Amino acid sequence: MNKTSVLSGQRPSQTNSGFGRFLHWFRTPKGRRTVTGYIFIGPFILGVLFWVVYPAGMAAWLAFHEWNLISPAKFVGLKNFETMLGDKLFWQSLKVTSVYTFVSVPLGMIVSFSMALLINTKVRGIAIFRTIYYLPSIMPAVANAVLWAWILNTDFGLLNAGLHFIGLPKIAWLQEPEWTLPALILMSLWGVGQAMIIFLAGLQGIDEVFYEAAKIDGAGSWAQLVHITIPMMSSVFFFNLIMGIINSFQVFTAGYLITNGGPQNASLFYVLYLYRNGFQHLKMGYASALSWVLFFIIAFFTAFIFRTLGRRVYYQ
Amino acid sequence: MKKNMSRREFMRIAGLASGASILAACAPSTTTTTAPEGTEAGPGETTEGAPAADTVTVTFTGWGGAEENDGVLAAAEYFEGENPDIKINWIQIPENYAEKLLAMVAAGTPPDTAFCYNTIYQDYVSKGLLMDITANLEADPVVGAPDYFIEPQEKDRCTVDGKWYGIGSCWVAGQMYYNADIFEAEGIEPPSNDPDEAWEWDKFLEVARQLTTDANGKHPGEDGFDPDNIERWGVQWPQNNLVFLHSAVADNGGRWINPETGLVELDSPEASEGLQNVADLMLVEHVAPRGAAFSALGLTNTQMLENGTLAMAIDGSWALSWITKINANLGTATLPRMKSLGTDMQAHIHVGLAGSENPDQAWQWLRFLATEYYQLIFLKMGLWLPSQTALMTPEGMEKWYTERKGPGDGIHPAGYDKIVTKFVPEYGHVLYMPPGYTEADAVITPALDAVWVGDETAQMAMETAVPEANAILEEAKA
Repeated sequence: MNKTSVLSGQRPSQTNSGFGRFLHWFRTPKGRRTVTGYIFIGPFILGVLFWVVYPAGMAAWLAFHEWNLISPAKFVGLKNFETMLGDKLFWQSLKVTSVYTFVSVPLGMIVSFSMALLINTKVRGIAIFRTIYYLPSIMPAVANAVLWAWILNTDFGLLNAGLHFIGLPKIAWLQEPEWTLPALILMSLWGVGQAMIIFLAGLQGIDEVFYEAAKIDGAGSWAQLVHITIPMMSSVFFFNLIMGIINSFQVFTAGYLITNGGPQNASLFYVLYLYRNGFQHLKMGYASALSWVLFFIIAFFTAFIFRTLGRRVYYQ
Repeated sequence: MKKNMSRREFMRIAGLASGASILAACAPSTTTTTAPEGTEAGPGETTEGAPAADTVTVTFTGWGGAEENDGVLAAAEYFEGENPDIKINWIQIPENYAEKLLAMVAAGTPPDTAFCYNTIYQDYVSKGLLMDITANLEADPVVGAPDYFIEPQEKDRCTVDGKWYGIGSCWVAGQMYYNADIFEAEGIEPPSNDPDEAWEWDKFLEVARQLTTDANGKHPGEDGFDPDNIERWGVQWPQNNLVFLHSAVADNGGRWINPETGLVELDSPEASEGLQNVADLMLVEHVAPRGAAFSALGLTNTQMLENGTLAMAIDGSWALSWITKINANLGTATLPRMKSLGTDMQAHIHVGLAGSENPDQAWQWLRFLATEYYQLIFLKMGLWLPSQTALMTPEGMEKWYTERKGPGDGIHPAGYDKIVTKFVPEYGHVLYMPPGYTEADAVITPALDAVWVGDETAQMAMETAVPEANAILEEAKA
């Protein structure tokens, strides 16, 4: 092997060392571009490998084992999945999370779209309104939870003070099981600013000519909304719906910090139940099985929405 | 032979190279003074390539607030002064302590020594997590002396099948605090610290009603009283902490767990009536605010006692360390007697972990934590009650007890010595949780939620929940 020739790049075919070939290839423009590209995406790839692929793989392995974090894991086959079928709290957590998702996601989309319409108008100081409506969604989740725990407090809360002011009785928002999920859904609306900004971007992307043409044909603002704005925004609705469903199936913070799953398991979200099994009941195998079941549930709904609504989305 | 490297080959090489560099970065450093994993080197011996290291680091994990943190740090400094070959690495974990401790164990880096919740201690022992310190303790002339600790409570809480796996940090218990200014203004004789003079439950309810007022100055039971518009509550009895619920159960002559069978006994008439009494304070008597959630919000019983919106608070003896700072005249008392006066008595246990690389040094530190020096730090600030007999004698109490003469002057309210020497040791009930209790509690707590809002009586709720919880405990036993 002639090292000099490898480094000068003149007789590459004579080297058979992998590193030598790499050096030669690296000297070509394509090689440099490729390496530079991988260097840029390297941190992300490593992050995915270490924090997503590896843990997900471990969880898949653990799903067929019993492991209490202390003793070695024991293979149990499908037992964890069988346990789930007869586990009342598993079904309760699935019910709570599904209700939360299928109410809060559509509701959140209606609210965020309405807000986007409002802040898309040309009035003085609109930038200030946009900032104000967006602000709550950048609040840390924990600060948000503490704030709402106070707002929803039975005896000292803002919400009940408001009800009392207009002559309505106090509601034990976080103590009565039938009120807890509605209270947490209400609280979730506090964070719709993110979706609102995406809607706003979509609204601003609609060409004015459509509205001008409609006006000439005599369309009022309602007709413009229904026949131009909403159809033109279908891809944004689709995106927000998918992201909303994926995120809200994984809801955790409010149920953990404010109600700790209670009262009477009314806010026992799926991920909270998963966390409890893993770290409090020391059933890491069962928790891993739960995590994979959740993955398939989310994958199912995402695929279902793509199948049913995906084709009807209009891309400009 | 190919002229260019394929994308796949490049990925392989790049992957190997970066993987190797990351593994290298993750490898345990051998330059620290702790004994590295998997070596034959005993504590204090040097390791290959490392500079001569004479000290061994003992890690110590625990929770606690700022005062506890300062106390541990001060103690560690003192200990290191006495033991120059040992360094204490205090790792404070204020939230989700049990979860994080187990994550450290699972990652193969358990601490050498740790705080352990008394409720989870037996579970840890059964899983082989803790270090057996029986021989060390029995050979020790100070902490191994027969009457060193309050017995039989210390032995009862620390030994499993006759073996010691930890030493109790101290004792704490459920008790009452009250704003003495309110009692004086209303002309009501306040409750006593002496268990012989504890209020009967009916007397307690009567005073709580007198002290509860709505916006129109009316009391519960009077015509026109508005329970939705209360300006001052008579009492608060928290429902979100096992200590105060177990206190109520014990105060009514019931038991949470049957120590012989290790099963939940909350469906007994005494236990469920004790819990019902707590619920009735809110639901029937209207003398207590609803909702356990308010303490996390900066609106605590301490602030309410101080600003006069709460007259009496049931809380832990540990809370004296901050309640004593209120700007009002403060009193303490025993719990009111339901059927048979009682309170919950417990505390965290200091343990060594079975996976420790430095068991001898870990024992030295555990032993130090059980000495008078360490206990005095926290006794003085009102956080702890003694577990060492020598600190409960009149001479012993002089070392830490300071009578509170007014706001900012002294810690312990007048007559508090009766809580320390009589109420807690004679009426305290220790609760031992069997393995699997955490999971069983996921049945009990939601069932009790229905009681606090009046959807079910305690008796009804416990009749359904207790068999379910016990089935989980039986399974954990097997």
